[in-house]
Amino acid sequence: MPVVKLYANLRKLAGTKEVSIPGATVGAVLNELVKQNPALDGIILQDEELRPHVVVTLNGHNKIDINMQVQEQDVIAVFPPIAGG
Amino acid sequence: MAGWSEKVLDIDLSTQTYQTYPLDMEMARLFVGGRGLGARLLWDMVGPEVNTLSPENVLIFTNGPLTGTGYQTSNRFSVTTKSPLTGTILDANSGGFWGMQFKKAGYDVMIVRGKAEKPVWIEIKNDVIAFHDASELWGMRVFALTAKLGQNNNKRNVLCIGPAGENLSRMASIMNDRERALARGGPGAVMGSKNLKAVVVEGRDRPVINDPERFKFMLYETRKLLAASPLTSQALPEFGTVVLMNIMNNIGALATRNHQQTQFEGAEAISGEELSEKYLVKNSACWACPIGCTRISKTEKGEGEGPEFESTWAFGAQCGIADLPAIIEANTLCNDLGLDTITAGSTIACAMELSEKGYMDSDLRFGRADQLAPTLEAMAYRRDIGSDLTDGSLRLATKYSHPEFSMSAKGMEMPAYDPRGMQGQGLLYATSNRGGCHMRGNMVGPEVLGLPKMIDRFQVQGKSSFVILHQNVSAAIDSLVICKFTNMGVADEYFARVLSSVTGIQYDTGELTRVGERVWNLERLYNLREGFTRKDDTLPQRLLTEAPTEGPSKGWVVKLEPMLKEYYRGRGWDENGVPKPQKLTELKLADLLVRI
Repeated sequence: MPVVKLYANLRKLAGTKEVSIPGATVGAVLNELVKQNPALDGIILQDEELRPHVVVTLNGHNKIDINMQVQEQDVIAVFPPIAGG
Repeated sequence: MAGWSEKVLDIDLSTQTYQTYPLDMEMARLFVGGRGLGARLLWDMVGPEVNTLSPENVLIFTNGPLTGTGYQTSNRFSVTTKSPLTGTILDANSGGFWGMQFKKAGYDVMIVRGKAEKPVWIEIKNDVIAFHDASELWGMRVFALTAKLGQNNNKRNVLCIGPAGENLSRMASIMNDRERALARGGPGAVMGSKNLKAVVVEGRDRPVINDPERFKFMLYETRKLLAASPLTSQALPEFGTVVLMNIMNNIGALATRNHQQTQFEGAEAISGEELSEKYLVKNSACWACPIGCTRISKTEKGEGEGPEFESTWAFGAQCGIADLPAIIEANTLCNDLGLDTITAGSTIACAMELSEKGYMDSDLRFGRADQLAPTLEAMAYRRDIGSDLTDGSLRLATKYSHPEFSMSAKGMEMPAYDPRGMQGQGLLYATSNRGGCHMRGNMVGPEVLGLPKMIDRFQVQGKSSFVILHQNVSAAIDSLVICKFTNMGVADEYFARVLSSVTGIQYDTGELTRVGERVWNLERLYNLREGFTRKDDTLPQRLLTEAPTEGPSKGWVVKLEPMLKEYYRGRGWDENGVPKPQKLTELKLADLLVRI
């Protein structure tokens, strides 16, 4: 089952840093994540798309499409809006 | 004219005299303030014949037309000089309160020339300028000195050097308001070489604003924009800049152990999340800043500002250290000693690699958190091993016959972003006019965070246009001078409207970006005049030839050459990186070309 890693304030909202979530695509996994963690509703996804400034990586690759297929061993990382320099 | 004070304070420390004279307003219109104005003034004053630590080098402190107006983040100011670390033109800018106070004292510019016979400090109260004996202050550290000279955030502000500056460390910073820094490139060494310990300012006059009603509306709109942006209203205040640690590690672009790897197994332990959970006391903010990204952190050994992302990385991943309290304490120690954290951390990492590989006889080793504080102390006082390290990694690695272990560009240590995982960042480091730096444009926005939209970080073709735009905008913002974080909530075209309301001169978006391009080209001309050439627009061999063997950036090196060719074309420069006469005419810089 793909692993989802959460960062920054998403950890507090979900009450965890990491969770295994089933799903065939990145979007499906994220939808299921929100379903299991209602506190994340409206934080990551909006109208089936990523909310502005939310960054999702798939195995460390950050230019992704939420329709991309995911495999059992894949790692999805979700970052809320962050900034710095 | 509104915005500018139209006044230059010109100090000669050799004679302990000063004069004031009107600012050249045509120059001010073209270069605005801060970094741009400083570069233009330095061009006339310091040529290739000047040794950076000689009395002939100058320090030029500049604020900008927005400084002190109360516009959001209008607290910043710059220092411009020829860098003792790199030999390039150098500007460094800082926040806090001092810049606002200096503007209120009635000056746009303070030039410091010559060298005092004995240590001095300067006190400025508008038109009253006093030189004081600093013999008893020489040797004091920054925190104690700042308190002794009467730091009072909104009334009296202290700018000074610590022991590192006194001992002419080429990585010495100038500190202001206790823990803010004009950090990079060694301006503190220039100040130390002049026997100048501190400059204390009390100002009494608010800057004149041309159209107060319009300006008030701009303040209101900016407040709304910053509050509406999750970046400036939530991300920066809640987690500060260190929150970048995990994402940079996740994508395999976190330079680790002197850039030998691109991922650090201890990243989580030194992340913004960890800092906020265990060590954060509260947030803090510079004058007129509603964002408040500054962290006040506490360990068993005390409390201090920071650390920022780059400092945490420099003493953390770059040194293979996952001990956050030790990193926080190293950061605070650097502020007290007056050392640049990025160059200090990366130079220690370079020494660790040289030592581990047997090229240098020292016990420095990656992962040894206990070695940070004593090594920094030794560097600031040029003691023992510190005398080898205190002039930066390039001089250190060259001394031990392995300059390739210096992770620097033009002699300035690069920050955290490993460009093998961010091709645009590689081009940015290679072409930055002050050397390896992330504050002369930063591709972390488009290449990592999707700001304003995500572009492929491994893409090479077409990347130069993004880099050029970011460099020009950064030069424009540094000339206003405001904080670049404002730009995360407020589009840069908005700043032109603010500038117009303050000065009464109509700047449009194109004109402001053109100011940035003008500044960038002037800095380029300065470096060419100093003898820098195309061959200096490069990166350490490691980044060009050694690909990471694991992680998301596996197999990638920086493909610099094609990006560089495209960059020169995009800049309107010839194949050797020299601005073409037509470009300089377009930028109103043609009169300078005949002088290089």
